[in-house]
Amino acid sequence: MSDQAIPLQQEEKQFSLAKDAFIRLVANRLAIVGMVLVAFLFFVAIFGPYLTPYDFLSQDLMARNQAPSWQHWFGTDDLGRDIMSRVIYGSRTAVVVGFSTVSFSLIIGLFMGALGGYFGGKVDAFVVWLIDITMSIPSLLLVIVINVSLKPPLVNWMDAQFLATGNEFYRNTIWVDFVLVFGSLALIKWPKAARIIRGQILSIRNKNYVLAAEALGVPTSKIVRRYVIPNAIGPIIVYISAALGEAMVLESSFSFLGVGVRPPIPSWGNMISDGLRIWQLYPHVLAAPAAVLAIVTIAFSFLGDGLNDALNPRQWK
Amino acid sequence: MGRYVISRLVRWIPSVFILLLLVYALVYFGAGDPIKLIFLQAPGDVAYDPARVEAIREAAGLNRPFLVQFWDYILNVAQGNFGNSLVSGRSVNSMVAAALPVTLKIGLAAILIVSLVGILLGVIAALNQNKWLDNLIVGFALIIWGIPVFVAGPLIIVFMVLVLNLNVPYGWAGLFDVKVIVPLLVLGLNPMALIIRQARAGVLEVLSEDYVRTARAKGIPNYQVVMRHIMRPVLTPVVSQIGLLVIATLNNSILIEKVFGLPGLGRMTETAIKSSDYPVILAIVLIFSIVVMASNLLVDISYPLLDPRAAAKKTEDE
Repeated sequence: MSDQAIPLQQEEKQFSLAKDAFIRLVANRLAIVGMVLVAFLFFVAIFGPYLTPYDFLSQDLMARNQAPSWQHWFGTDDLGRDIMSRVIYGSRTAVVVGFSTVSFSLIIGLFMGALGGYFGGKVDAFVVWLIDITMSIPSLLLVIVINVSLKPPLVNWMDAQFLATGNEFYRNTIWVDFVLVFGSLALIKWPKAARIIRGQILSIRNKNYVLAAEALGVPTSKIVRRYVIPNAIGPIIVYISAALGEAMVLESSFSFLGVGVRPPIPSWGNMISDGLRIWQLYPHVLAAPAAVLAIVTIAFSFLGDGLNDALNPRQWK
Repeated sequence: MGRYVISRLVRWIPSVFILLLLVYALVYFGAGDPIKLIFLQAPGDVAYDPARVEAIREAAGLNRPFLVQFWDYILNVAQGNFGNSLVSGRSVNSMVAAALPVTLKIGLAAILIVSLVGILLGVIAALNQNKWLDNLIVGFALIIWGIPVFVAGPLIIVFMVLVLNLNVPYGWAGLFDVKVIVPLLVLGLNPMALIIRQARAGVLEVLSEDYVRTARAKGIPNYQVVMRHIMRPVLTPVVSQIGLLVIATLNNSILIEKVFGLPGLGRMTETAIKSSDYPVILAIVLIFSIVVMASNLLVDISYPLLDPRAAAKKTEDE
């Protein structure tokens, strides 16, 4: 596209970037399905406590391993806990971990990417090296090691703090699980965000209009606001959507392996792992959380693909 | 080419060194005293005696400073000795020798089959762009893209056993046994989606090239155009994903081997993690990164062979 063509096009169509992207997104039926499902997931996660018919911990030993019925839509598990309530609480776990992971990895990624892209030279080489290592190590394994090895000392420290200060905050060591899971996930998820921002800065730096703006004395902050952010916002939104889905799946993977959020806090992963023990007799205990997690991941795929097409139209078709 | 491989190795060694240091430090400062762990995990009437623990620590050299111990470990690893498992007492080398082939065989077979099927589906989708077949394949790819293996695996098992009345595919009886089919399929689901997308995007890009139009205009039969002019440039973006596929397959093997009872590296990882068996964990970290590094290297080497333009472009980029 030549530089002269741009003003002509703008005269023809005065769509803003966001409106343009939104129109493309709405035209994609699968993306709409994904968006509705993801919105429903967030709704359920936020208002979970008001929606659950039963407490997720209350055991009813008279009603163990019941098949799905009108009282228990998804049935009950081997301790007589209502599976639907647990699946709903599991969505809270997933969403909390998902959002914290994405926020932290965005902060790290944007900082590192901007550092590399802006300073260039040795700083940039170091950033690229860090990105390369982080992306080429077996990430799941590293995160598992972090979780397993840091949990006991952190829990001990929390206990010691509680005994020393009596502060109620230190009593609840469930937070250690959550912090470790999303902290370690952020450590492996940041390179993609860093790559996006670094790539944008590098590609925009030598564009004529940026050089012109610099020559005219436009301050850097304004160049960032006017040129860098609008260019990077599309890929970043796609990144956020993809990373949210991935983080939720990874959270479940850890709980599935028994290193993430521990029972009795429900996570889809530890529910699937529980279900694997008794599925021959009570398949619903396994099928309910597995099906929900499958639907959520498919919803994120649909939404992510739609966003990608809408925001990066040049990349695909 | 030889110089390139060596320069890559030289760059890889410091990063894997740092990775090992990181993991070593994590288990050293985090997981707690290994001797104490052995005592706590010892069966029956082995009493926990602080004096004895101290004696064993002294004998095993665990009282030395952290860096000395780490250096000692690295020297051992450099000689191919990974130490002994804290839980079983077996040498980690023999454990790896038993487990690694299982994971490698299944993983490689999955990647190979999935690449072939995925390229085929991707090309079919692109040649029928925006028709129902294309939508079907793209939709299928989107559905299998994110599904975690520990969801797909159990759901397939439940379906097979309860609906189709088949046996559970459990255990390992060599690569050419029927039991391998389902785990292979499950392991290949996510990678297949990636390959389909890459192949489809690649074909769509090539279809509008001048040389394809020229070939068509010359009257070359359609299948020859596809095989000679379209397939070859499409292989490059697909091959570039193989590093990612290897990482995904290794990660997934940790999650899936328990479900299908496969005695591979993933299973070993899982049990080692549960018992904080750090010599085993360290060995697995090292093996995983060697496999990933080697596959990335292979991809980079095969680039210029597949597409001479890629070689030229690559030097431009750097």
